[in-house]
Amino acid sequence: MTDQKHSKTMQRRDFIQTGMRLTLALSLGGIGTMAALKTAKGDTVWQIDPFKCVQCGRCADYCVKTPSAVKCVHAYDLCGYCDLCGGYLKPDAIAQATGAENQLCPTAAIKRKFIEEPYFEYEIVEDLCIGCAKCVAGCTSFGNGSLHLQIRHDLCDNCNECAIARVCPADAISRVPASEPYKIKGDFTANNKDQTQSREE
Amino acid sequence: MRKRYVNIVLGGSAAIFFIVLLWWITSDPTRDLQASMPGSDNRGAKTLVEQIVNIGEKFQVFKNIITGTSENWTRFRGEDVDNISKSKTKLKDTWQADEPSVLWSVELGEGHAGAAIYGGKVYILDYIEDKREDALRCFSLETGEELWQRSYNVNLKRNHGMSRTVPAVNEKYILTMGPKCHVMCVERETGDLVWGLDLVKKYNTEVPFWYTGQCPLIDGNKAILAPGNDALMIAVNMDSGEILWETPNPKAWKMSHSSVIPTTLFGKKMYLYSAVGGVCGISAEGSDEGKILWESTAWNHSVVAPSPVAFPDGKIFLTAGYGAGSMMIQVRKTGNSYTTEVLKEYLPKDGLACEQQTPVIWEGHLLGILPKDAGANRNQLVCVHPDDVTKIVWSSGKTTRFGLGPYLIADNKLFVLSDDGTLTMIKPDTKNYRQLAQKKIFDGHDSWAPLAIADGKMILRDSKTMFCIDLKK
Repeated sequence: MTDQKHSKTMQRRDFIQTGMRLTLALSLGGIGTMAALKTAKGDTVWQIDPFKCVQCGRCADYCVKTPSAVKCVHAYDLCGYCDLCGGYLKPDAIAQATGAENQLCPTAAIKRKFIEEPYFEYEIVEDLCIGCAKCVAGCTSFGNGSLHLQIRHDLCDNCNECAIARVCPADAISRVPASEPYKIKGDFTANNKDQTQSREE
Repeated sequence: MRKRYVNIVLGGSAAIFFIVLLWWITSDPTRDLQASMPGSDNRGAKTLVEQIVNIGEKFQVFKNIITGTSENWTRFRGEDVDNISKSKTKLKDTWQADEPSVLWSVELGEGHAGAAIYGGKVYILDYIEDKREDALRCFSLETGEELWQRSYNVNLKRNHGMSRTVPAVNEKYILTMGPKCHVMCVERETGDLVWGLDLVKKYNTEVPFWYTGQCPLIDGNKAILAPGNDALMIAVNMDSGEILWETPNPKAWKMSHSSVIPTTLFGKKMYLYSAVGGVCGISAEGSDEGKILWESTAWNHSVVAPSPVAFPDGKIFLTAGYGAGSMMIQVRKTGNSYTTEVLKEYLPKDGLACEQQTPVIWEGHLLGILPKDAGANRNQLVCVHPDDVTKIVWSSGKTTRFGLGPYLIADNKLFVLSDDGTLTMIKPDTKNYRQLAQKKIFDGHDSWAPLAIADGKMILRDSKTMFCIDLKK
């Protein structure tokens, strides 16, 4: 009687364990299959070509998300780490300091940190960034162009007709493969741009 | 009953109103905002141990060759400080596939220092990163062989390159200004040290962002330098290193990247200088030598690289990058006093403006390349007349853009070097843009150093390599 009860208990435990394993395997398999299908069937997402972007500021105003799903990103390997940073400071700023009166960003979304003389590091606080491109214009005009705009896919609704693509004066926004959803400067250069485009075609 | 009901409603409404009012008065809508205050970047105090620099302490001779006599390019913007070669040497009118040929090339330390040419020798103040040295290097113009090197140890960190000035040369001496404002005078033929001057130690000079771009000036037997801070301008005896005069600097103007430009206005020789703080004309002769003749604080920007451009009628064109734009001022002389008036001030998108290079005067017009923040005309070569520098006479067009690179005129041809090493030959004209030829000379990066030319050989460089090309017909 005791053996039978023990055997019955073991069977129930095995049944539950096996069931959980199967459920997990099915779930992972399903997700994997869905991911594979998503990639294989050529899903696309919207993205900005930083080499075409003219920093017009429309990404901040026309995106259906509030604030915009377009954010500034920073390619640290391209940055000059300058004290006088054209992306951080207003032209002819009173001082090279962190006071609001000196900052170009309307929402103070760029944090500046002293590294050592004469280098400063600049970090984007994405929660504050509205994608206005003021810093991108400053960095592109006077610096190495390390600050640039990208559509963040964790925020983007991936609308069928992208509101900012429609108004972009430089045609810098286009659909890209979901498997390569970003065009981050450094990895993505003006030289390999053509290769990326040909892959898209 | 009805009255009681009304009282309850009124009383309740009043209570709600007062609660909302209290909340509205006491709540702070900015409570989640964080004020951006100065100092939150934890900028460190400049506590680094001051380095003892022995200017000109080292000397090496590599080769002794006699160089032939040749034409000269004696300083920043050439002998007449106008960036126009007066040489009679004829240059090619167009280039075949293999032209212009590269005669030689030399690797340099990262930077934007330009060359001076004298007596068949090329002089450049390089920074040799692995030795941590400012090095005045002398090369043969003909072969590119290094002849000698006079150097001194100074610690620099890479900051958009390191070297960025052009030596000044005359028959006897070479004068250099290092990235951290170390001035060195050596004998031209032998490379022997004559004297050295540390402007930071002597005048508390504040080294400009990315190190100084001020090219030193030799005027007669005087070195003319603009240290800023404790002295606006100084003259130094080239033979002895003795300070001849110092111009007081009561407004505490600072050194810019701009260079001192000698000119003559209203029959009076003067030195023009565009400092961080203002622009001035300082007497270069007579009993008032070294005195400020006129000054204006209307032109005041934190980064000024181009030098002032003076017109015979007293107009002075001033321009700078980083959004500053340009200004045209009018200097007038009444009796023994001078006055200044701002004729025009505008942003880079509204007229001629330059970020690094100084515009060239050609047949009474100004030629220059617009910066990246100049709107639709950005990076285009444009021509304007000094009477209205906001009216573009012609531009190179939206399909022909350049960068921050240099340009000069020789044999009635304008040569423009783009950042990537592409050289464009243009017929300078006051009516329209006329391109003669274009060739990618080298695969370059940040080719910003001023050009030099002598005997039909042009010296040009990108951030790491110096090239000599043959343009002779």
